[in-house]
Order: sequence, then C-alpha cells, then structure tokens
Amino acid sequence: MAEQARNKKTDAGKPAALAATAAAVGSAVNLAFAQGSDKIKVGLIGCGGRGTGAVRNCMEADPGVEVIAVADLFEKQARGAKAGLERDGKFKDRTKIPDDHVFWGFDACKKLLATQVQVVLQAEPPGFRPRHFKAAIEAGKHVFFEKPVAVDPAGARIVLEAARLADQKKLNVVCGTQRRHEFSRVELMKRIHDGAMGELIGGQCYWLGGGIWYKMPDQGTTEFDWQCHNWYHFCWLSGDQICEQHIHNIDVMNWCFQGPPKNFLGIGGRVCRDYSSQAKQVSKLFNDGDESKWEKYNGDIWDHIGTELEYPNGARVLSMGGHGGAGRGGERLVGTKGFSDCAGSITGENAWRYSGPHPNGMVQEHADLLKSIREGKPLNEGVRIAESTLTAIGGRMSAYTGRAFSWNWLLKESKLDLWPGEDKLKSGPGIFYPIPSGHDPLV
Amino acid sequence: MRQDTGISRRQFLQGSAAAAGTFALGGLSANLAFGKGSDAFKVGLIGCGGRGTGAAADCLAAAAELKVDLNIVALADAFADRVKGAKDRFKVADARCFTGLDAYRKLIATDVNLVILATPPGFRPLHFAEAVEAGKNVFMEKPVAVDPTGVRSVIETSALADEKKLGVVAGTQRRHQAAYIETIKRIHDGMIGEIVSAQCYWNQGGLWVHKRGPNESDVAWQIRNWLYFVWLSGDHIVEQHVHNLDVINWAVNAMPERVVAMGGRQARTAPEFGNIYDHFCVEFVYPKECRTISMCRQIDGADNRVSERVAGTKGVSDCCGTIKDHKDNVLWKYEGENPNPYVVEHKDLLSSIRDGKPLNEGKRIAESTMCAVMGRISAYAGREFATEWAMKKCGLDLFPKDLKMDGQLPVEPVARPGVTKLEDLKEPPKRKKGK
Repeated sequence: MAEQARNKKTDAGKPAALAATAAAVGSAVNLAFAQGSDKIKVGLIGCGGRGTGAVRNCMEADPGVEVIAVADLFEKQARGAKAGLERDGKFKDRTKIPDDHVFWGFDACKKLLATQVQVVLQAEPPGFRPRHFKAAIEAGKHVFFEKPVAVDPAGARIVLEAARLADQKKLNVVCGTQRRHEFSRVELMKRIHDGAMGELIGGQCYWLGGGIWYKMPDQGTTEFDWQCHNWYHFCWLSGDQICEQHIHNIDVMNWCFQGPPKNFLGIGGRVCRDYSSQAKQVSKLFNDGDESKWEKYNGDIWDHIGTELEYPNGARVLSMGGHGGAGRGGERLVGTKGFSDCAGSITGENAWRYSGPHPNGMVQEHADLLKSIREGKPLNEGVRIAESTLTAIGGRMSAYTGRAFSWNWLLKESKLDLWPGEDKLKSGPGIFYPIPSGHDPLV
Repeated sequence: MRQDTGISRRQFLQGSAAAAGTFALGGLSANLAFGKGSDAFKVGLIGCGGRGTGAAADCLAAAAELKVDLNIVALADAFADRVKGAKDRFKVADARCFTGLDAYRKLIATDVNLVILATPPGFRPLHFAEAVEAGKNVFMEKPVAVDPTGVRSVIETSALADEKKLGVVAGTQRRHQAAYIETIKRIHDGMIGEIVSAQCYWNQGGLWVHKRGPNESDVAWQIRNWLYFVWLSGDHIVEQHVHNLDVINWAVNAMPERVVAMGGRQARTAPEFGNIYDHFCVEFVYPKECRTISMCRQIDGADNRVSERVAGTKGVSDCCGTIKDHKDNVLWKYEGENPNPYVVEHKDLLSSIRDGKPLNEGKRIAESTMCAVMGRISAYAGREFATEWAMKKCGLDLFPKDLKMDGQLPVEPVARPGVTKLEDLKEPPKRKKGK
C-alpha cells in the first residue's frame, strides 16, 4: 500500500523492521503484562489487502498478539488470509487459526464474534462497517476498525451510538486514521492547541491521486459478489473517494480545529473516471452476451470533489479529493501567527520542528490500542472517527446535491441511508444507484 | 483542447495593424483634442447584445451625469437583427450600422473616438488591438480573452494604449463600486493585517441557451450560443467568475503564483450546452503561500453564492463594506452611498479622458482574465502549474482559423483530464495509489 510506503518515507528511509523495533520499544513498559498467559486473541473481519495488512501491523505492535479467527464474505479470501499468514515467516508462530475458525458468507462476522477473540480488526468494505462494529461492541469485543467507519449519516449514527456503548462497557476502540498516532503530529497538535499558531483562520487538505483497481468477475460469480469485490466503485459500499481515502486528511483538519465543521459547501463531478471497456465485458458476462447494460458496471462514484469546510470559529478550509487529475496530498493550516504543514512543523512567530522518532503510525495505532487494553486505560476513538467520517460524508452529500448545509442538520436530520437492508444481502443481483447529478435531492 | 500555436490570429493582427496604421495617427490627435474638452464623445458599439446595449445605455447615463456631450453614433454586430434592435434604441444612421464578422473593422474605420467592446470574449483581443491601433479609447466588457495567447495580446495592446494616451476601462464594475473601493483601501492600509487566506464564489443556476435553428451554420449557431463554447466564452469560470477572481487579485494586490483545479460537466450535459463545464473548484496560491478557494458553478437547483472573502492576521473582510476582527466584532462598516457601479465605470473612463489623464485598466483585467483561464486549463488537463508557465510558455490559442459566418466548425469535445494534454508542460511524476 502506498500509505505504508509513505510512512516508510517519513521514517527517513529506515527499513520497516527498524520502525517496528521502535514501536516494540515504545510498548516495552507493557511487556511484563504480555508475559505468561497474557496473550491477546485477535480476529479479522475483511480479509483483503488492508485486512491482512492490519493483522500484521497488529502482531508487529505487540508480541502477545495471536490471530485466532478470520472472516470474509468470500471463502477464497478467508482461506487465503489464513494461508498467507501461516506462510509468513515473521508471523506464522502467532497465527493459530483452526479450520473451524475460518468463516465466510453474510453471517461470517457473527460467527467470528462468537469465538474467544478479544480484539476484532474490521477491514471489510466501509458500507458494512457500522453494523459489524455495533455487533462487535455488543459482543464485548475491543475493536480496531479501518477508516471510514460509515458511508451515510444513518451509518455514522449507528457508530456514534455503539461508541458510547463501548464507553459504558469499558471497551477500547481505535481507528485506522494512523496520522492520529504519529508522534510528530501528536506533538504538533499539542502546540497548535496551546496557541502556537494563534487563532486558526484557514487551511487546506488534499488527496488527489491516480485511479483505482477494477476487478473482473471470476467464473460463476454473481453480480452482487462481483460488486462487493469492486466495492470502491459503489457509493453504498465505499462512500466515494472523499469518504474512503480523503478522510485521512479531513480527519487531520478536524483534529486541528478540535471538532467537525459547522457548514459544508461542496462541488464535484465525474469527468474522467472511465472503466467502460471492462464494464462492457462485465455486462456481457452477467447479461448473456449483452454489453448494452455496461453503465451500471462502470461504478457510481465521482472522480473529484472540492469542499469548503467552515469551522465553528469561522475559518474556511478547502478540501480537494480526486482521482485522475492533478496530484497533491497532505494538509496545511493557517493561523494568525504562522502556518503549519500539519505533519511536524510550524513556521512563523513560534517556529518549531519535530525532531523525535517516527515510528510507523500504522503499527503505532495498534500499539496504542493494545497498551490501553493491557493497562485498562480506556481509549475510545469511536465518536471522533464517526464525526470525521460524517464530515467526509457531508462534503460528498453537499457536492452530489449542490446544496450547502450545516453540521447540525447533517448529524440530526439527514435521512440518507444507503444500506440495502439485510434481505437484499445475498449472492444474486447487485445493488446499483445512478451516478449523482450534482443537483440530486438532499435527504 | 487544441494546442495550436496561434499563427492565424497573430498574422491577422499584423495585417490589420499595417492596415490601421494611418488611423492610429488620426486617433492620437483626436484624443488630445478631448483633453481640452472641446470635442464630443462619438461612441461606437461593437457587440449589440444585452450587455452591449446595456453598456451603451450606462455610458449615456454617465455622460448625462458628467454633463459631457456624448452620442452613440455607430453600431456593429455579427448579426443584422442585433444591429437593428440597437439602431432603433439609439437612433443611429443606417450608414453607420455594420453587420458581419468584419463589422467591427468597418466601425473602427469611422470617426468614433470611443468604442465599447461587448462581443463574445473570444473576439476581444482582436477587436481591442484594432481599436487601439486605430487610436480609439476603449470600454471593454470582461473577460478580455479566453486563452493565454489572447491575454498576452491584450497586455501588449494595453501598453500601446499607454503610449497613445488612450483610455481603457473594463467592465469589472466592482473596481468602480464605492463599497469595494473603500473596503479594499482599508485592507491595503493593513486593517486586517497580512492576508493569509481568501475565498471567492460564483455559484448559481443556469443561463439562457440558444438552441440551433434549422438553417444556422456551425459558426453562426456557436456565436449566437456563445456562452457554451470555450473558444468564445472561455467557459463560465472565465466569463463570469472573473469578477470575483479580480477582487481577490485586487485585495491581495498580486497575481497568484500557482494553480491547481478540478472541474467537470455533471448536470448540464445536453448538446446545446456546447463543450463547457458546469463547475470548477480551484486553489490559487498567491505570494507568501496565501492560498485561496475559488468555486464556481452553473447548475439549476443547486445553492447560490456569489461573494468574496479575505482573511488576514488581524481580521476578515467581505471586500465590500465590512471588516471584522477574528472575534466577529465589526471594526469598520461602509455607510456611504453606493452609486450604480455600471454607470460609475463609464463616468470614470469619460472623465479621465476629458481631464487628459486616461485610465488604463487593460493590463490589470488581462491578468485577472488570465487567472480564470489558468483555473480552466488546470481543471481541463488535471494539472497543476505555475502562472509563469501560463503567461510565458502556454501557447494555447482557441481562435478558429479562417472563420466564416457560413463556415463549418465542429464542436471540440468536452475536456477530460488525462485526455486533454498540455503538450508544452512537462509531465508530472507518476502517482501512486493509496490506502
């Protein structure tokens, strides 16, 4: 993953192993805890690239972690994850997945939650995340879940409620917005919040990158299965790029301003995302050789969204997310006393540059979760990540509808719910929405 | 998007400059006579559509307020029906009413001493050059070009207007609006500190559209329906949003250094809407890393917002009457009169000519036009670039070769990042996919 490559780069070119050592040293205090019977049993829901990556990050973060169960919608994915970990020289000793702990199908999550796992790693497509999260908390599991944690306001509310339940149950929840666990950013934010930049009056954040994968169906795959494999291309599964990817940067802006924006104004469209040649082949496969139905297989997400996020103090922040146009990444903050790159430095009146270690944030986030579990000091990022997810959803909704609206409306009154309902979740027809028009009704 | 190097227009200009040389001398002496206030303003209107006739009426109103002698004495338009409408309204003699693509040239050859340029913007650089060559004072509507080649032409012509002591005012009326002038003065005096962030918007619904008539040629239809063809309007970011971009340039007192943009055509996709986009979102980076948000949209049913805002180290302003500190306390509010800026801009031009101190806004409006053009080019090609590249190296020239009213002119395809290339801009490094 490029995200990991990026982290390696901030580690000043150190190999990942060195970064891992740093992380292990960071949690040395807890090693005493980890000895003896203090193993932590982990289960993975969603066995794609990010899921199996997260399991490895988790095992790297703490030598007491053992993975004991895996679940996926697809048998091949679930079995593949088990086999891959068992082959991995670095982690095979702590991969203890019995055959009856490999789950697939629509109830795989439920089955995994019924095992002895203590920590659940959620890396399924985002559309499924809110309900899986709720089930995990109700089952009394600690949770690491990937971002974003929902694709619509209804889902964000499910996460908010479950996060509050996690508080009551003293369960720990950490999310895969790893920037929140990077030491350089943590130190930077302390200074920003202490006023080193004065009043915050503006900012920018960007994730403008290349295109994404498009998978052809396997022999015998149903439309619904194919759609779940190609989840990024469908808003009800991914939330669109602003939600799925650009949320990282939006979350940093919310971190700067210590909460979500108060107003949204988004603009966007789909001008260059084109998978028509593959989509026509898919159409033939699913429609007895008829390629005329290709448009739905071209996906319904946009390729660019620009949003103005207006924070409660009046600061207006530009967010740009897209695929296929100009390239740009990162965040930037503007204060009355200076600027910041939001990564580790401030320029201006109180100029400062972070100079400590840079452990890999994608490992550190697990280290922080496991430490909080071992020490019984609750760490619950659920509300925060639900708010950041809803911020990204708000940007998307504003762009899709061409309408400006407030956070309060979005949080409390929007009725948008893309979840198809349990009865529609079955190997069969896919669930397709039209490409948004830019003046869709606001619900 | 075509990437021609624009020889056609250049040659056209050179040819016309030679032809117009004699007029140039005549024009110069005529203007000096104005300085003495002994001569009447004889105004020629080039482009007799809604904005053109509106501008002519504003010009007459300005003259009345100034008590100077001014008449609309000549008209030119590509279309006879447009000329006729204006002729009836302004009582112009038939002999001074000109029709066709070369009507502007015939008008410039008369003894008018002030021309109003209100044709579709794609023609503006050409008409401006010939008018100034011929020694005419100019009021020109915004924008003043649709591509970098045109922008450079307008800047050159403006320098010539300086040499000839000709007055040039552009229809960015906010520059002549009291509330803006007084606010920007205070911003320049430091009331909000150093500007570190800014925003501007022109979000609205759709505009008029002219569907193709049964006997209309490609060229005639496109000129009638000019809003929707990039070579004529520059796209709506250039045609309309230039107003707001001009205000930010004014407030920051600089041109941006870099641009990165996104845009598309999402709602307004029918063929009668030609090849322009319906939305843009642009970041302009001004000197000292001052980054601004620019948004513009023409989509029916979407929310409206047309405004500007600048944030400095000490406060914020809407640029048109209010300055606040960062605690939302009002530091200053404009409470003076707000005379109609569409008339004031003409008064300012006429009085500057009368007083022998002709205003020349040509370079400034060319630069603001360039900002909008850069936003469009960046969005179309999906590329970030420096203003210096656009100003000096970008050879984009959209003006068609051998333009004839009954000619064929296929509609260029809608721009798409990745397909629309900027041949003379170096390719960026390959991007990675991400988590």
